[in-house]
Amino acid sequence: MRSAAILDGTIGAATQQAQALGGFLREGLVGDLVGETLVFYHDECDKKRLVELAPTRAVRLIKTTARRPERMVEILTAVARSEGISLFLFAGGPAGTELATRLAYRTSGAVLTDALSIEVGPERLLCRKNVYSNHMVGRFELSARPWCVSIDACWKDGGSPTSLAHHILSGTDETGRIGTTPFEDLELVDPPSTGDLAESRFLVVAGYGAGNREGVERIAEAARRMGAAFGVSRPVAMNAWALMDRLIGVSGTRAAPALCIVVGASGAPALYWGIEKAAFIVAVDPDEQAPIVRNADAALLDDGVAIVEELAEIIAAEVLR
Amino acid sequence: MCFKVTPDFEALREADWIAGAAHGVETRYVRRILNCFDESALEMALRLSDTLAGRGVTMGLDALSVGGGEAEPYLKTLYALGYERAARVRSEASLDFAPAVTASIIASYVRQVDHSDLVVLGCRSGPGDSGTVPFLVAEKLGWPCLTQVIEVEPLTDDRVRVACMVDDGLLRVTLRLPCVLAVGNAVVSRLRVPTLTDRLARRHKRIDVFSGADLGVDIARELRREPCVLAGLEAIHRARQGVIIGGETPREKARVLFDSHLKSILEKL
Repeated sequence: MRSAAILDGTIGAATQQAQALGGFLREGLVGDLVGETLVFYHDECDKKRLVELAPTRAVRLIKTTARRPERMVEILTAVARSEGISLFLFAGGPAGTELATRLAYRTSGAVLTDALSIEVGPERLLCRKNVYSNHMVGRFELSARPWCVSIDACWKDGGSPTSLAHHILSGTDETGRIGTTPFEDLELVDPPSTGDLAESRFLVVAGYGAGNREGVERIAEAARRMGAAFGVSRPVAMNAWALMDRLIGVSGTRAAPALCIVVGASGAPALYWGIEKAAFIVAVDPDEQAPIVRNADAALLDDGVAIVEELAEIIAAEVLR
Repeated sequence: MCFKVTPDFEALREADWIAGAAHGVETRYVRRILNCFDESALEMALRLSDTLAGRGVTMGLDALSVGGGEAEPYLKTLYALGYERAARVRSEASLDFAPAVTASIIASYVRQVDHSDLVVLGCRSGPGDSGTVPFLVAEKLGWPCLTQVIEVEPLTDDRVRVACMVDDGLLRVTLRLPCVLAVGNAVVSRLRVPTLTDRLARRHKRIDVFSGADLGVDIARELRREPCVLAGLEAIHRARQGVIIGGETPREKARVLFDSHLKSILEKL
């Protein structure tokens, strides 16, 4: 049975894609598969670097045009029909979701997004993924092939790409058959800055229990004084008490700090997903029954704003002095 | 504009999340809320309509929900907010883990009833959280689709300028209609509240209710053909030590926490 991992060099974040795919192939996939990587690239890509990043030894190179997912789907559909590949594996994120879904539709296959793990059977693919806003894990069975699977964003922590002795199976140039596009005037602009959250070693997260915008701002100021990055839960962002780019959780940033202080958030699974890799979690919440209290290493049952301001004073005086 | 009313999963107790159930968790008694991304989509459509109205262009707004009667209060609210048509498609069977069937229903509604050239919906919704419905609708209609949309502005009668989050940043792109837009973490995240006057004025507007058959969709047959099925559920174990830090005042508790745990961690950073 053959599988193909898709490394989309036509968008940025190729290293993160490779880390995720490589980690998943090493630890998330069970089954006897002959794997290869389909590397999509365009004129401005560092093709050599993309090949080095490929998570399998066997590599096919496909030259196309930047940001043309509809064309990529056509190419992948042709590959699926001609090569008899059973499993297509995509990195998580919007591009992976789109490609996996559209490819499955056009080939009458099956799609599953955000897979935590997969097990390849003779007739079916067994997949696990988070459901119910991360309250539970669902086990899914995929029947019709090809199986088109995008992997969960948690695999971005998959570690550095493994150094492999790659060999190029083929190289094709698809730029001559681009066709028309419904997209015009594409402009990639700097995203709202979330890098400080993803890379933070010390993170403070404010939840709805902050009470109002002023409470959130006081927590943000305390975080600044402690030298911590500052994030918020979805209810805080939806109430416009903080910017959306501060969002921590399934639809925001996933962080892995050494220390995370969660202030006034109940610890809903969708938020917890964003901090579960933290080495040490402190919960500050007046409700002893809040899930975050059980799911933290240490908890303070009190008003969050007052506690975090006291902590800021101590840390500023005794650690950052 | 399509939306889903979902159970408020955060309102369930931990004991309610029972692993092993093959067909989902019992949530019938839990209060219903608008899926957060769909709420953004509904408000975004209203603002698009407002902008066009300022240019003297009328944009008709249709709201559709697939599922049970729990959507009806929201559909009435949407009438009060100025939506021209509010409809739902009923299904005896749960479509919670059947994105392909949901997409078939939406696409058929657009083709046969609504005839719009813009579909706006949330990028994903529970409990399946697949994120595939917008793309499946687009495939069935033969339209382009953008997901993680955070802003939309009309340019001309048949073009919109869209901002969406992509894997490597924020992309701004002009898109010809027809198209499907799936809304993500938009700043516009709350649906406005109608006035009592508007509610009273439009309280008699009828909510159209369709069956799958009305739209040419055999829901039972499509469910049997669903190539990805839920086979079971597993609990997630997240518990850590949860040591409660003692003390009388916030200052005292903060001091105990710092001395017992934080000092050693922070000194290593």
